[in-house]
Amino acid sequence: MRLLYINNDGGGFADFIDVTEDTTVEQFFKDQMRGSKPDDFLIRVNRQPVPREYVLKEGDRVTITPTKIEGAEI
Amino acid sequence: MEDKKNLIRMADKIQEELIRLKHSRYLELMRQLTTFAGQLQELTAQSKKMGASLVNSWFSAADRCCKGVNRLLSDIPHSVSKLRQLTNAPQEELPKLSTLFDELIQVQQEFGCLEVNNTENTISVITESITLDDVYLGPFRIQLELKKFSELYTVSPYHVIALSPNPAATDETVTHPHVSNEVLCEGDGCVAIRTALEQGRLSDFFTMVRSILTTYNPDSPYVALIDWDGDVCYDCGYVTSREYIYYCCYCEHDYCENCSTYCRCCDETCCLGCSEQCSYCEDQVCMNCMKECAECDSACCSSCLEDNICPNCKEEMEKDNEEQECKTSETKEDGNPGQPEKSETQIKLAS
Repeated sequence: MRLLYINNDGGGFADFIDVTEDTTVEQFFKDQMRGSKPDDFLIRVNRQPVPREYVLKEGDRVTITPTKIEGAEI
Repeated sequence: MEDKKNLIRMADKIQEELIRLKHSRYLELMRQLTTFAGQLQELTAQSKKMGASLVNSWFSAADRCCKGVNRLLSDIPHSVSKLRQLTNAPQEELPKLSTLFDELIQVQQEFGCLEVNNTENTISVITESITLDDVYLGPFRIQLELKKFSELYTVSPYHVIALSPNPAATDETVTHPHVSNEVLCEGDGCVAIRTALEQGRLSDFFTMVRSILTTYNPDSPYVALIDWDGDVCYDCGYVTSREYIYYCCYCEHDYCENCSTYCRCCDETCCLGCSEQCSYCEDQVCMNCMKECAECDSACCSSCLEDNICPNCKEEMEKDNEEQECKTSETKEDGNPGQPEKSETQIKLAS
């Protein structure tokens, strides 16, 4: 099934990707953000916070935004 | 909570600005392409010149060509990278009005508040109070200005305003380690923030700005948090913690350890400018304890002065007095204090 995945980590791309049926948000995060901790990200599905066991559906909009971004001096 | 009508009106304005932004993106792309094409033309010209120089064995001309080519080779990667940035991102369709409306609703949910000003064309949210490494920085207003939206590639279209400012001791325009003059230096978030704005993802934009504000990067701040609350030495400008700052009660300024001293007479702390060295004992003393000798006018500390006279003058005076006393006693012994030389002359004349 296809869903819209918006990754605000790094370049901040938005793209449609294919995932297997019955994928939970937790599994999706593990697959997409290898080595990252979920606590360091704001995860929204269809603009809403969801529990980790939420099963993704066709056409869902998943947004992953880091809660820690390092600013800098110009 | 913002009125629904207001939000729809604002969503409509955002859509208009996104169209303008798209136009300005293409304009920027054109500008960069023109620059790049110019660089390639110049490279071709240099290549021709180089060929002619070699045919004629004009080595100094060939050297000049090398320098020109080298300069161009430094400039071209920069142009290529800019062009890549502008052409890489897929040119997606503009978000629908309903999507933009949903974005505004999401911002409202994420931040608990959203201020939409349809007159000024601004959208603002307020962060919670921010404290980084035990330094209180207060809450910040993130204010997106739609008027500047289309200038995204040249200026920052939003401001970060400290609502309860606790600026750095050294620079009052720095209200956060990564904010100067209300402009956030996005660092690692730069590309993602720009992409979010280009795509009208306002909720992502505001949350990413908040993520930068709640994170401290000690490698590249405008002012490091370790120096945040420090006081500045009035003399040398060195920033140090308050416990190592000394107040001079004469000029009423704060000084660091190196620029301050204490009076050896009264123990009062003062700066180097308000203290002087005693010309006799060479101790550093404050202005109040520094006096002038009534005899020689030299600067001398009150400890060294005796009856307003410095030890040197005192010694001389004592010597003078002693001599005077000696002379007086000698003349008394001779019995004829008025004509001693005369008698001597008389002796000489006699001989």
